[in-house]
Amino acid sequence: MEQVVKSYPTSTRPALDSVDVDIEKGEFVFLVGSSGSGKSTFLRLVLKEETPTSGRVHVAGKDLSSLSSWKVPALRRSIGCVFQDFRLLPNKTVFENVAFALEVIGKPQGTIAKVVPEVLDLVGLDGKAQRMPDELSGGEQQRVAVARAFVNRPMILLADEPTGNLDPQTSIGIMKLLDRINRTGTTVVMATHDSAIVDSMRRRVVELSQGKVVRDQSRGVYGYGA
Amino acid sequence: MRAQFVTSEILIGLRRNLTMTIAVIITTSVSLALVGSAMLMRSQVGLMKSYWYDKIEVSIFLCNHIVESPNCKGVDVSEAQREQISTDLHNNPAVQKVYYESKQQAWKNFQKQFANSPEIVKNTNPDALPESYRVKLKDPSKFAVVASAVQDEPGVEQVTDIRKTLDPFFKFLNGLRNGIFVIAIVMFIACALLIFNTIRVAAFSRRRETGIMRLVGASNLYIRLPFLLEGALAGSVGAAFACGFLVIAKVSFVDGVLAPSLTFTPFIGWSEVVGTFPWLFLFGILLSTASSFLAIQRHLRV
Repeated sequence: MEQVVKSYPTSTRPALDSVDVDIEKGEFVFLVGSSGSGKSTFLRLVLKEETPTSGRVHVAGKDLSSLSSWKVPALRRSIGCVFQDFRLLPNKTVFENVAFALEVIGKPQGTIAKVVPEVLDLVGLDGKAQRMPDELSGGEQQRVAVARAFVNRPMILLADEPTGNLDPQTSIGIMKLLDRINRTGTTVVMATHDSAIVDSMRRRVVELSQGKVVRDQSRGVYGYGA
Repeated sequence: MRAQFVTSEILIGLRRNLTMTIAVIITTSVSLALVGSAMLMRSQVGLMKSYWYDKIEVSIFLCNHIVESPNCKGVDVSEAQREQISTDLHNNPAVQKVYYESKQQAWKNFQKQFANSPEIVKNTNPDALPESYRVKLKDPSKFAVVASAVQDEPGVEQVTDIRKTLDPFFKFLNGLRNGIFVIAIVMFIACALLIFNTIRVAAFSRRRETGIMRLVGASNLYIRLPFLLEGALAGSVGAAFACGFLVIAKVSFVDGVLAPSLTFTPFIGWSEVVGTFPWLFLFGILLSTASSFLAIQRHLRV
């Protein structure tokens, strides 16, 4: 359902060089590699935040290079995003933060009132809907971010180091949440360098190094020898 | 698109940037008020022109025994000369109507005109006033045709065009109007730059929100609209203030100062003042929306 082929040369060395990855619908994929290996570029290409220099990116059967710019919002509505730094709005409550994602794509108020508590329940934040983000722990804030990414039921969830700012215990909670979301049929692509998490999940691992795919294992671990 | 959401975003944006918003409103209102007064000045000049040009336009003064010009040589115009001039004027195709003003009438008018200065009236000999023909033209611009036709006839002392007297005055008013327009344009530039900056700051202070809007797939229009409307709102508030300025100017300056002291000419009425309002709103909203749009193009990634 998704096949990604692109080479992408920048200044000295391409951020992604002849990368050819095919991710099936409903898969859970770890994107690993050191900093600067091209993980984030990979995710940005899927979002069409960047366009490939050459090659093609297909998302949900659509070729992004031939996707006109006014259809990009529709593409992004089918993709949820979670980041290392949460990116919540500090002056809005948890409920409003999640509702914001629906408001700005023009969902009616009735839907919002129904869907937001459901998704907060799913991520385990029921009862904290009226809190402000800075009253929550890092793990809880990331749950809000996941709720916001998932509230519109996207087909794909992109996570860029979602556990990068969290302690191992909290990270496991987030991973369980992503796993649960994956089981609803949502494709999850997660960039990380948290080896413990990758090792414990035993899911498909795509390793990037200097912009090249150096490993693609189904049930893989983080490091080579492990 | 939900109107409530958009309006709340606009109001938040304007409040967050209150000082800039006030500056924008002040500059737009001042520049629009200038444009408005220039427009009113134009209609005032037009009004005065049509009023005056509609009155008798060409005066043909006839010889009087006290005038020593080569055409008169200090002799009164004779009966035959007067008749000849009258016939010529009536036969001239450019002439619409001819009035004759006798010495007695001229004296009456003179007394009326200088009613406030009895000294002048006392020291004037009624006999010194010339009799004249007052001619109304079919086409006011054909003055030269009539003037040259009767200028050299015996018994004609002088041909004057009332427009010649008024033209410097109109020129002055037009110059003033152009000056106001130039100042208004300069103000408009300042205005556009201010709005540009305001929207840039607004885009920057809301970059987090717009970033998220982008990620969750809000349409470009939805992201941009609050900024555009913010500019448009500031522009229309400025236009509303400018309309207020014009109303105050009409009441206190035109009706309060000019009209009572300058009774000889008509002044613009409310229809002219109100007629400028739509233009002011149009200019204000166009200017502010256009500069917001440019600011968004430059500083808001979609």
